[in-house]
Amino acid sequence: MSLLHRIERADDALNWHGDMPTKGRYTAGIAGERFFREIKERGQFLATVCLDCDITYMPPRLYCEECFSQLEEWAEVGSWGHVHTFTVVHRDLDNEPLSEPRILAFVTLDDTDGGLVHYLAEIEPEDVYLGMRVEAVLKAEDERQGSITDIEYFRPM
Amino acid sequence: MTGDRVAVVGAGMTKFVRRAQETPKELSWEAAHLALQSCEMTIDDVDAVVIGTAPDAFDGVHMKSEYLSDGCGGWGKPLIRGYVGGGTGVFAAIQGWYHVASGLFDTVLVVCEEKMSSCQPHPQAAFLTIFDHTTERPLKPNLLWIFALEMNAYMNRYGLSKRDIATVSVKNKRNAADHPAALLGDPDITVEDVLNSPVLAWPVQRLDVSPVTDGAVALVMSANHVARRVTDRPVWVEGVGWNLDTAYWTNRDLSYPVYVEEAARMAYDMAGISEPRQQIHIAEPYDPFDYKELHHLEGLMLFDRGEAPRAAADGITQRDGDLPVCPSGGLLGVGNPIAAAGLMKVAEIFWQLRGEAGARQVPGNPKRGLAQAWGDLMQVGTVVVMGV
Repeated sequence: MSLLHRIERADDALNWHGDMPTKGRYTAGIAGERFFREIKERGQFLATVCLDCDITYMPPRLYCEECFSQLEEWAEVGSWGHVHTFTVVHRDLDNEPLSEPRILAFVTLDDTDGGLVHYLAEIEPEDVYLGMRVEAVLKAEDERQGSITDIEYFRPM
Repeated sequence: MTGDRVAVVGAGMTKFVRRAQETPKELSWEAAHLALQSCEMTIDDVDAVVIGTAPDAFDGVHMKSEYLSDGCGGWGKPLIRGYVGGGTGVFAAIQGWYHVASGLFDTVLVVCEEKMSSCQPHPQAAFLTIFDHTTERPLKPNLLWIFALEMNAYMNRYGLSKRDIATVSVKNKRNAADHPAALLGDPDITVEDVLNSPVLAWPVQRLDVSPVTDGAVALVMSANHVARRVTDRPVWVEGVGWNLDTAYWTNRDLSYPVYVEEAARMAYDMAGISEPRQQIHIAEPYDPFDYKELHHLEGLMLFDRGEAPRAAADGITQRDGDLPVCPSGGLLGVGNPIAAAGLMKVAEIFWQLRGEAGARQVPGNPKRGLAQAWGDLMQVGTVVVMGV
């Protein structure tokens, strides 16, 4: 068998399995900590604002990507906006059909220059359209953990 | 040297810490922001960005430099990531140099970042897959094995004792006590402390090893005509070199880093250095382990083979010695956020040659220094020579 000979079955050649046994432990960071704590404790969305560049960052950043200055101006913003684009997911990572297709959307939030990617629910996939008005549905206060999943999904307004 | 003259005109770094709350982007931004502030430049003055960062698995983000790019000032600019493992920090400065020396850009921002605390249970785990998957990994080696085998080969080749080598760890951790950003500075540490620390893989003991660290460092590098406008104290890049040995560590002479010698020869030739022992006044060789500083000093031809330990014992490498080595405190003292640690060494030479190193300042107005790092599969050497 030459080196270029295709292996028809995995066990035609000697082989063994290995993995990279690492796990990630991430922090939300300086800006992210405040953003998620505010959602957890008050259900309030916050953005940071660069007054010089006239950019309102959602999710909030510590620094302005454009002028690179530190952002110290925080603004309370609404947890609603419109669907910028969306997809309907039919299969899971193992290529198994989902029992219910899930709608994933990029939601542009009002009064900001950004938004969040999240699920849409309380609507059928065929009824979703670009520009549709949507709002965040938060978990109950005692179930919130300071994570993006404190938002259960967005729904039509 | 070929191309335009290139200078380092600004530098900044975060504190090196065990666990940063900042995201990797925020760490990068802090270092880059401080570097720009140090030379009164803004992001608009930056024509291109070079990012140096080691395995993606450390921060736990695949395609890490794309993730880091906005924190490094890369939004809307030409951006590149170089990666030569532990050698990355010094290689990033080399990339910054050729971006400018080529004439393509006037000013380049070089940012190196590592957040190793994200990698659980320990960043060592990310290194388990660097070994040959067929001949070595079934034996379950970890990174310490290589260092232990190399350190033992070095000690036996030249008849060195653990005590000869422990002096390096003591020197660097004491030097780091004067560094405001250091993680492991200790003015009172002794050789006995090192010799009594737990054995990890003989002859490597815990205090022979640099710590897991989070941090970021940034440099601003400019072409001659810009450098002269923004500062009256540019630090010129006089020579750069890098070189790779075989990827089979079983086929290398572990007692001598020939790849460091080749990298140094390339940099010395470019800098017109024929007598490095006379012409290099200060050195920041890579010191993730204490014996590696000695190993690298020999590879850099600053001492004869097997002679660096005696020089260290005689005080020659102390901050007030004839050849100050790792006056920053090095990786053993300041910390080892891999790529950021290498660039910290370049920044230290910048600060030392400008007389801005504060309590760490070496006496005698040094005019020329070098920074060196080492990495990949333990077989790359990267060298930058700078002067004023």
